[in-house]
Amino acid sequence: MKRLFLTLVCALSTAAALHAATDGEVAARRTALDTAGAFTNDGFKLRDGHWAGDFAPGKPKIIQVNLYAGNQYYFTVGATAPAKKVLVTVYDETGKPIASEPYQDTSVAAIGFSPDNSGIFFVKVEVVEGAAADFCLVYSYK
Amino acid sequence: MIWNFRPLAGSLAFVCLCASAAAEATPLTPEEMAGAARTDGLSIPMPGEFMASLNKLGKIDWTSKFRIPIGTNYTSRPQMALNLGGLIADGYIAIEAQDQMQVKNIGRDVLTLAKALGVSKDVLERSGSIANFAEKSQWDQLKEEMEATQNEVKQSMAEAKDQDLVTLVTVGGWLRGLEVISGQIGAHYTETGGKLLRQPGIALFLNQHLDKLPEKTKDDASVKMVRKKMADIERLIAFPLDKAPTVDEVKELNKLTTDTLKDISKKQK
Repeated sequence: MKRLFLTLVCALSTAAALHAATDGEVAARRTALDTAGAFTNDGFKLRDGHWAGDFAPGKPKIIQVNLYAGNQYYFTVGATAPAKKVLVTVYDETGKPIASEPYQDTSVAAIGFSPDNSGIFFVKVEVVEGAAADFCLVYSYK
Repeated sequence: MIWNFRPLAGSLAFVCLCASAAAEATPLTPEEMAGAARTDGLSIPMPGEFMASLNKLGKIDWTSKFRIPIGTNYTSRPQMALNLGGLIADGYIAIEAQDQMQVKNIGRDVLTLAKALGVSKDVLERSGSIANFAEKSQWDQLKEEMEATQNEVKQSMAEAKDQDLVTLVTVGGWLRGLEVISGQIGAHYTETGGKLLRQPGIALFLNQHLDKLPEKTKDDASVKMVRKKMADIERLIAFPLDKAPTVDEVKELNKLTTDTLKDISKKQK
Protein backbone atom coordinates (compact mmCIF):
# COMPACT_ATOMS: atom_id res chain seq x y z
CA MET A 1 0.00 0.00 0.00
CA LYS A 2 2.82 2.35 0.88
CA ARG A 3 4.37 1.66 -2.49
CA LEU A 4 1.12 2.41 -4.29
CA PHE A 5 0.78 5.64 -2.35
CA LEU A 6 4.32 6.68 -3.22
CA THR A 7 3.68 5.89 -6.87
CA LEU A 8 0.53 7.97 -6.98
CA VAL A 9 2.15 10.87 -5.15
CA CYS A 10 5.18 10.82 -7.45
CA ALA A 11 3.04 10.54 -10.55
CA LEU A 12 0.75 13.39 -9.55
CA SER A 13 3.69 15.57 -8.52
CA THR A 14 5.25 15.03 -11.90
CA ALA A 15 1.98 15.89 -13.60
CA ALA A 16 1.67 19.08 -11.60
CA ALA A 17 5.21 20.05 -12.55
CA LEU A 18 4.55 19.79 -16.27
CA HIS A 19 4.06 23.26 -17.67
CA ALA A 20 2.31 21.93 -20.77
CA ALA A 21 -0.36 20.04 -18.82
CA THR A 22 -3.71 21.81 -18.48
CA ASP A 23 -5.77 21.64 -15.29
CA GLY A 24 -8.15 19.34 -17.14
CA GLU A 25 -5.36 16.95 -18.11
CA VAL A 26 -4.10 16.84 -14.54
CA ALA A 27 -7.64 16.08 -13.32
CA ALA A 28 -8.05 13.38 -15.99
CA ARG A 29 -4.75 11.88 -14.93
CA ARG A 30 -5.86 11.75 -11.32
CA THR A 31 -8.99 9.88 -12.42
CA ALA A 32 -6.95 7.42 -14.49
CA LEU A 33 -4.47 6.84 -11.66
CA ASP A 34 -7.26 6.21 -9.13
CA THR A 35 -8.41 3.25 -11.23
CA ALA A 36 -4.98 2.10 -12.43
CA GLY A 37 -3.87 2.03 -8.80
CA ALA A 38 -6.27 -0.86 -8.21
CA PHE A 39 -4.25 -3.09 -10.51
CA THR A 40 -1.15 -2.76 -8.35
CA ASN A 41 -2.97 -4.95 -5.80
CA ASP A 42 -2.72 -7.72 -8.38
CA GLY A 43 0.99 -7.18 -8.91
CA PHE A 44 0.73 -4.80 -11.85
CA LYS A 45 3.33 -2.06 -12.01
CA LEU A 46 2.16 1.37 -13.07
CA ARG A 47 4.39 2.73 -15.80
CA ASP A 48 5.78 6.18 -15.00
CA GLY A 49 4.51 7.96 -18.09
CA HIS A 50 1.25 9.10 -19.64
CA TRP A 51 -0.38 10.52 -22.74
CA ALA A 52 -2.84 13.38 -22.32
CA GLY A 53 -4.87 15.71 -24.49
CA ASP A 54 -8.46 16.40 -25.42
CA PHE A 55 -11.03 14.39 -27.35
CA ALA A 56 -14.65 14.78 -28.45
CA PRO A 57 -17.49 12.50 -29.53
CA GLY A 58 -16.71 11.14 -33.01
CA LYS A 59 -13.12 12.33 -32.76
CA PRO A 60 -11.14 9.54 -31.04
CA LYS A 61 -7.42 9.76 -30.35
CA ILE A 62 -4.98 6.94 -31.15
CA ILE A 63 -1.45 6.24 -29.90
CA GLN A 64 1.06 3.61 -31.00
CA VAL A 65 2.70 1.55 -28.25
CA ASN A 66 5.26 -1.25 -28.28
CA LEU A 67 4.49 -4.22 -26.06
CA TYR A 68 6.15 -7.52 -25.17
CA ALA A 69 4.72 -11.01 -25.45
CA GLY A 70 4.42 -12.71 -22.08
CA ASN A 71 3.56 -9.55 -20.18
CA GLN A 72 0.02 -8.65 -19.10
CA TYR A 73 -1.10 -5.07 -19.65
CA TYR A 74 -3.90 -2.79 -18.44
CA PHE A 75 -4.55 0.48 -20.29
CA THR A 76 -6.60 3.00 -18.33
CA VAL A 77 -8.09 6.24 -19.63
CA GLY A 78 -9.50 8.92 -17.34
CA ALA A 79 -11.45 11.93 -18.56
CA THR A 80 -12.95 15.13 -17.18
CA ALA A 81 -16.65 15.52 -16.37
CA PRO A 82 -18.04 16.55 -19.78
CA ALA A 83 -17.35 12.99 -20.94
CA LYS A 84 -20.11 10.78 -19.53
CA LYS A 85 -18.84 7.51 -20.93
CA VAL A 86 -15.39 6.77 -22.39
CA LEU A 87 -13.91 3.75 -24.10
CA VAL A 88 -10.41 2.39 -24.61
CA THR A 89 -9.70 -0.22 -27.32
CA VAL A 90 -6.47 -2.00 -28.27
CA TYR A 91 -5.60 -3.04 -31.86
CA ASP A 92 -2.77 -5.15 -33.27
CA GLU A 93 -0.31 -3.83 -35.83
CA THR A 94 -2.67 -4.61 -38.71
CA GLY A 95 -5.42 -2.54 -37.09
CA LYS A 96 -7.48 -5.52 -35.97
CA PRO A 97 -9.15 -5.13 -32.54
CA ILE A 98 -7.70 -7.37 -29.82
CA ALA A 99 -9.93 -9.58 -27.69
CA SER A 100 -9.58 -8.00 -24.28
CA GLU A 101 -11.02 -7.49 -20.82
CA PRO A 102 -12.84 -4.13 -20.58
CA TYR A 103 -13.94 -2.09 -17.58
CA GLN A 104 -16.10 1.02 -17.83
CA ASP A 105 -17.37 3.49 -15.25
CA THR A 106 -18.53 6.93 -16.47
CA SER A 107 -15.39 9.01 -17.07
CA VAL A 108 -12.92 6.16 -16.72
CA ALA A 109 -12.35 2.98 -18.71
CA ALA A 110 -9.71 0.27 -18.68
CA ILE A 111 -8.81 -2.70 -20.81
CA GLY A 112 -6.58 -5.66 -20.01
CA PHE A 113 -4.88 -8.16 -22.31
CA SER A 114 -1.76 -10.26 -22.88
CA PRO A 115 -0.13 -9.92 -26.30
CA ASP A 116 0.74 -13.16 -28.09
CA ASN A 117 3.52 -11.43 -30.02
CA SER A 118 5.94 -8.61 -29.25
CA GLY A 119 5.63 -5.55 -31.44
CA ILE A 120 3.43 -2.62 -32.35
CA PHE A 121 -0.08 -2.09 -30.98
CA PHE A 122 -2.49 0.82 -31.19
CA VAL A 123 -4.61 2.16 -28.35
CA LYS A 124 -7.73 4.21 -29.18
CA VAL A 125 -9.50 6.38 -26.61
CA GLU A 126 -12.90 7.89 -27.33
CA VAL A 127 -15.90 9.64 -25.85
CA VAL A 128 -18.95 7.41 -26.28
CA GLU A 129 -21.42 9.69 -24.46
CA GLY A 130 -21.14 13.30 -23.37
CA ALA A 131 -19.16 16.23 -24.69
CA ALA A 132 -15.57 17.17 -25.48
CA ALA A 133 -13.25 16.61 -22.53
CA ASP A 134 -9.63 16.27 -21.46
CA PHE A 135 -8.25 12.75 -21.17
CA CYS A 136 -5.20 10.97 -19.84
CA LEU A 137 -4.04 7.45 -20.73
CA VAL A 138 -1.74 5.41 -18.48
CA TYR A 139 -0.80 1.76 -18.46
CA SER A 140 0.24 -0.96 -16.04
CA TYR A 141 2.09 -4.21 -16.70
CA LYS A 142 3.30 -7.36 -15.01
CA MET B 1 -8.75 6.01 0.21
CA ILE B 2 -6.15 3.59 -1.02
CA TRP B 3 -7.75 0.66 0.82
CA ASN B 4 -10.85 1.19 -1.31
CA PHE B 5 -9.00 -0.11 -4.35
CA ARG B 6 -9.22 -3.74 -3.35
CA PRO B 7 -13.01 -4.06 -3.87
CA LEU B 8 -12.59 -2.15 -7.11
CA ALA B 9 -10.03 -4.67 -8.28
CA GLY B 10 -12.52 -7.42 -7.55
CA SER B 11 -15.20 -5.63 -9.53
CA LEU B 12 -12.82 -5.18 -12.41
CA ALA B 13 -11.99 -8.86 -12.45
CA PHE B 14 -15.71 -9.68 -12.49
CA VAL B 15 -16.49 -7.28 -15.30
CA CYS B 16 -13.50 -8.62 -17.18
CA LEU B 17 -14.96 -12.10 -17.13
CA CYS B 18 -18.24 -10.89 -18.57
CA ALA B 19 -17.28 -9.13 -21.74
CA SER B 20 -14.96 -8.86 -24.67
CA ALA B 21 -14.45 -5.49 -26.29
CA ALA B 22 -13.17 -6.85 -29.57
CA ALA B 23 -16.59 -8.01 -30.77
CA GLU B 24 -17.91 -4.43 -31.11
CA ALA B 25 -14.86 -2.56 -32.39
CA THR B 26 -14.22 -1.99 -36.08
CA PRO B 27 -10.66 -2.30 -37.44
CA LEU B 28 -8.48 0.79 -37.74
CA THR B 29 -7.95 2.23 -41.20
CA PRO B 30 -4.40 2.61 -42.60
CA GLU B 31 -4.86 6.39 -42.25
CA GLU B 32 -5.75 6.07 -38.58
CA MET B 33 -2.68 3.90 -37.95
CA ALA B 34 -0.40 6.25 -39.86
CA GLY B 35 -1.76 9.24 -37.96
CA ALA B 36 -1.41 7.65 -34.51
CA ALA B 37 0.57 9.59 -31.95
CA ARG B 38 4.04 8.32 -31.09
CA THR B 39 5.61 9.72 -27.93
CA ASP B 40 8.79 9.02 -26.00
CA GLY B 41 6.70 9.05 -22.82
CA LEU B 42 4.41 6.15 -23.71
CA SER B 43 5.29 4.61 -27.09
CA ILE B 44 8.76 3.52 -26.00
CA PRO B 45 8.68 0.82 -23.30
CA MET B 46 10.68 1.26 -20.11
CA PRO B 47 13.56 -1.22 -19.60
CA GLY B 48 11.58 -2.76 -16.73
CA GLU B 49 8.91 -3.97 -19.16
CA PHE B 50 11.45 -5.77 -21.31
CA MET B 51 13.00 -7.32 -18.21
CA ALA B 52 9.61 -8.44 -16.87
CA SER B 53 9.01 -10.23 -20.14
CA LEU B 54 12.47 -11.81 -20.14
CA ASN B 55 12.08 -12.99 -16.54
CA LYS B 56 9.13 -15.13 -17.67
CA LEU B 57 11.44 -17.24 -19.86
CA GLY B 58 13.26 -18.62 -16.82
CA LYS B 59 15.55 -17.67 -13.97
CA ILE B 60 18.20 -15.21 -15.06
CA ASP B 61 21.56 -14.57 -13.40
CA TRP B 62 21.38 -10.79 -13.59
CA THR B 63 24.79 -10.34 -11.93
CA SER B 64 26.33 -11.94 -15.02
CA LYS B 65 24.90 -9.05 -17.05
CA PHE B 66 26.98 -6.36 -15.31
CA ARG B 67 29.58 -4.67 -17.51
CA ILE B 68 32.92 -3.09 -16.70
CA PRO B 69 32.16 0.42 -15.37
CA ILE B 70 32.24 3.03 -18.10
CA GLY B 71 33.85 6.45 -17.82
CA THR B 72 31.94 9.55 -16.76
CA ASN B 73 34.33 12.28 -17.91
CA TYR B 74 33.33 12.85 -21.50
CA THR B 75 33.69 16.22 -23.19
CA SER B 76 30.93 15.79 -25.78
CA ARG B 77 27.37 16.35 -24.54
CA PRO B 78 25.77 13.94 -27.06
CA GLN B 79 28.19 11.24 -25.95
CA MET B 80 27.37 11.98 -22.30
CA ALA B 81 23.65 11.61 -23.05
CA LEU B 82 24.11 8.27 -24.84
CA ASN B 83 26.14 6.93 -21.92
CA LEU B 84 23.70 8.32 -19.36
CA GLY B 85 20.96 6.26 -21.01
CA GLY B 86 23.15 3.17 -20.85
CA LEU B 87 23.96 3.81 -17.21
CA ILE B 88 20.29 4.10 -16.30
CA ALA B 89 19.72 0.72 -17.97
CA ASP B 90 22.65 -0.61 -15.90
CA GLY B 91 20.72 0.60 -12.86
CA TYR B 92 17.72 -1.55 -13.80
CA ILE B 93 20.03 -4.56 -14.21
CA ALA B 94 21.62 -3.96 -10.79
CA ILE B 95 18.16 -3.76 -9.23
CA GLU B 96 17.11 -7.02 -10.89
CA ALA B 97 20.31 -8.55 -9.49
CA GLN B 98 19.49 -7.03 -6.06
CA ASP B 99 23.08 -5.83 -5.70
CA GLN B 100 23.22 -2.90 -3.25
CA MET B 101 26.77 -1.82 -4.03
CA GLN B 102 26.24 -1.94 -7.78
CA VAL B 103 23.05 0.14 -7.48
CA LYS B 104 24.85 2.74 -5.38
CA ASN B 105 27.85 2.91 -7.72
CA ILE B 106 25.64 3.28 -10.77
CA GLY B 107 23.49 5.87 -8.99
CA ARG B 108 26.65 7.88 -8.32
CA ASP B 109 27.74 7.66 -11.97
CA VAL B 110 24.25 8.66 -13.16
CA LEU B 111 24.49 11.69 -10.88
CA THR B 112 27.91 12.65 -12.27
CA LEU B 113 26.78 12.51 -15.88
CA ALA B 114 23.42 14.16 -15.20
CA LYS B 115 25.15 17.04 -13.40
CA ALA B 116 27.56 17.49 -16.29
CA LEU B 117 24.56 17.74 -18.62
CA GLY B 118 22.97 20.42 -16.44
CA VAL B 119 20.02 18.37 -15.22
CA SER B 120 17.99 20.22 -12.57
CA LYS B 121 18.74 19.93 -8.85
CA ASP B 122 15.34 18.37 -8.09
CA VAL B 123 16.12 15.41 -10.30
CA LEU B 124 19.58 15.03 -8.86
CA GLU B 125 18.08 14.63 -5.40
CA ARG B 126 16.44 11.41 -6.60
CA SER B 127 19.87 9.83 -6.75
CA GLY B 128 20.05 10.20 -2.96
CA SER B 129 16.83 8.28 -2.56
CA ILE B 130 18.12 5.56 -4.89
CA ALA B 131 21.05 5.04 -2.51
CA ASN B 132 18.68 5.00 0.48
CA PHE B 133 16.35 2.43 -1.05
CA ALA B 134 19.36 0.30 -2.02
CA GLU B 135 20.67 0.50 1.56
CA LYS B 136 17.33 -0.88 2.79
CA SER B 137 17.05 -3.48 -0.01
CA GLN B 138 13.70 -1.99 -1.07
CA TRP B 139 13.88 -3.36 -4.58
CA ASP B 140 10.32 -2.68 -5.72
CA GLN B 141 10.58 0.95 -4.65
CA LEU B 142 13.94 1.16 -6.40
CA LYS B 143 12.43 0.06 -9.69
CA GLU B 144 9.86 2.84 -9.42
CA GLU B 145 12.51 5.35 -8.40
CA MET B 146 14.73 4.39 -11.33
CA GLU B 147 11.83 4.77 -13.76
CA ALA B 148 10.91 8.15 -12.26
CA THR B 149 14.55 9.27 -12.41
CA GLN B 150 14.81 8.32 -16.07
CA ASN B 151 11.65 10.26 -16.93
CA GLU B 152 12.57 13.30 -14.87
CA VAL B 153 16.06 13.48 -16.38
CA LYS B 154 14.40 13.57 -19.80
CA GLN B 155 11.80 16.10 -18.63
CA SER B 156 14.51 18.34 -17.23
CA MET B 157 16.37 18.16 -20.55
CA ALA B 158 13.20 18.90 -22.51
CA GLU B 159 12.49 21.94 -20.34
CA ALA B 160 16.05 23.14 -20.96
CA LYS B 161 15.37 22.86 -24.73
CA ASP B 162 17.72 19.88 -24.97
CA GLN B 163 15.25 17.62 -26.79
CA ASP B 164 18.06 16.09 -28.84
CA LEU B 165 19.67 14.85 -25.64
CA VAL B 166 16.37 13.19 -24.63
CA THR B 167 16.51 11.15 -27.84
CA LEU B 168 20.10 10.13 -27.13
CA VAL B 169 19.36 9.09 -23.54
CA THR B 170 16.52 6.91 -24.85
CA VAL B 171 18.74 5.38 -27.54
CA GLY B 172 21.57 4.64 -25.08
CA GLY B 173 19.24 2.97 -22.59
CA TRP B 174 17.43 0.95 -25.22
CA LEU B 175 20.71 -0.28 -26.75
CA ARG B 176 22.01 -1.45 -23.37
CA GLY B 177 18.75 -3.29 -22.67
CA LEU B 178 18.85 -4.88 -26.11
CA GLU B 179 22.46 -5.98 -25.57
CA VAL B 180 21.61 -7.75 -22.32
CA ILE B 181 18.49 -9.40 -23.63
CA SER B 182 19.95 -10.55 -26.94
CA GLY B 183 22.91 -11.93 -24.98
CA GLN B 184 20.61 -13.92 -22.72
CA ILE B 185 18.46 -15.20 -25.58
CA GLY B 186 21.50 -16.01 -27.72
CA ALA B 187 22.99 -18.08 -24.92
CA HIS B 188 19.73 -19.88 -24.07
CA TYR B 189 17.99 -19.83 -27.43
CA THR B 190 14.33 -20.71 -27.92
CA GLU B 191 12.00 -19.49 -30.66
CA THR B 192 9.75 -17.90 -28.03
CA GLY B 193 12.72 -16.01 -26.61
CA GLY B 194 13.87 -14.96 -30.08
CA LYS B 195 10.46 -13.49 -30.88
CA LEU B 196 10.77 -11.19 -27.85
CA LEU B 197 13.40 -9.26 -29.79
CA ARG B 198 10.86 -8.14 -32.39
CA GLN B 199 10.63 -4.35 -31.94
CA PRO B 200 10.14 -2.75 -35.37
CA GLY B 201 8.20 0.23 -34.01
CA ILE B 202 10.87 1.19 -31.52
CA ALA B 203 13.76 1.00 -33.97
CA LEU B 204 11.82 3.06 -36.53
CA PHE B 205 10.79 5.64 -33.91
CA LEU B 206 14.35 6.06 -32.65
CA ASN B 207 15.89 6.18 -36.12
CA GLN B 208 13.39 8.85 -37.19
CA HIS B 209 14.29 10.91 -34.13
CA LEU B 210 18.02 10.43 -34.74
CA ASP B 211 17.52 11.67 -38.31
CA LYS B 212 15.83 14.82 -36.97
CA LEU B 213 18.72 15.76 -34.66
CA PRO B 214 20.36 19.14 -35.32
CA GLU B 215 23.27 18.93 -37.79
CA LYS B 216 25.74 19.90 -35.06
CA THR B 217 24.64 16.93 -32.95
CA LYS B 218 24.68 14.59 -35.94
CA ASP B 219 28.30 15.62 -36.56
CA ASP B 220 29.34 14.26 -33.17
CA ALA B 221 31.48 11.14 -33.69
CA SER B 222 29.44 9.01 -31.24
CA VAL B 223 26.13 10.02 -32.85
CA LYS B 224 27.45 9.35 -36.34
CA MET B 225 28.50 5.86 -35.29
CA VAL B 226 25.19 5.15 -33.52
CA ARG B 227 23.12 6.24 -36.53
CA LYS B 228 25.11 3.91 -38.76
CA LYS B 229 24.72 0.92 -36.43
CA MET B 230 21.05 1.60 -35.68
CA ALA B 231 20.18 0.99 -39.33
CA ASP B 232 21.66 -2.53 -39.06
CA ILE B 233 19.94 -3.11 -35.72
CA GLU B 234 16.57 -2.12 -37.20
CA ARG B 235 17.06 -4.71 -39.95
CA LEU B 236 17.66 -7.45 -37.35
CA ILE B 237 14.71 -6.70 -35.06
CA ALA B 238 12.07 -5.89 -37.69
CA PHE B 239 11.45 -9.52 -38.66
CA PRO B 240 7.96 -10.75 -39.65
CA LEU B 241 5.36 -11.55 -37.00
CA ASP B 242 5.29 -15.28 -37.73
CA LYS B 243 9.05 -15.78 -37.91
CA ALA B 244 11.57 -16.10 -35.08
CA PRO B 245 15.17 -14.98 -35.67
CA THR B 246 17.72 -17.79 -35.82
CA VAL B 247 20.24 -18.20 -33.02
CA ASP B 248 22.92 -16.81 -35.34
CA GLU B 249 20.82 -13.72 -36.03
CA VAL B 250 20.33 -13.20 -32.29
CA LYS B 251 24.09 -13.51 -31.74
CA GLU B 252 24.74 -11.07 -34.58
CA LEU B 253 22.37 -8.61 -32.92
CA ASN B 254 24.13 -9.07 -29.60
CA LYS B 255 27.55 -8.45 -31.14
CA LEU B 256 26.27 -5.37 -32.92
CA THR B 257 24.81 -3.85 -29.75
CA THR B 258 27.90 -4.76 -27.68
CA ASP B 259 30.24 -3.16 -30.24
CA THR B 260 28.03 -0.07 -30.45
CA LEU B 261 28.02 0.39 -26.67
CA LYS B 262 31.79 -0.08 -26.48
CA ASP B 263 32.26 2.60 -29.13
CA ILE B 264 29.86 4.94 -27.35
CA SER B 265 31.79 4.63 -24.09
CA LYS B 266 35.23 5.25 -25.64
CA LYS B 267 36.58 8.72 -25.02
CA GLN B 268 36.64 10.80 -28.19
CA LYS B 269 40.04 12.03 -29.40
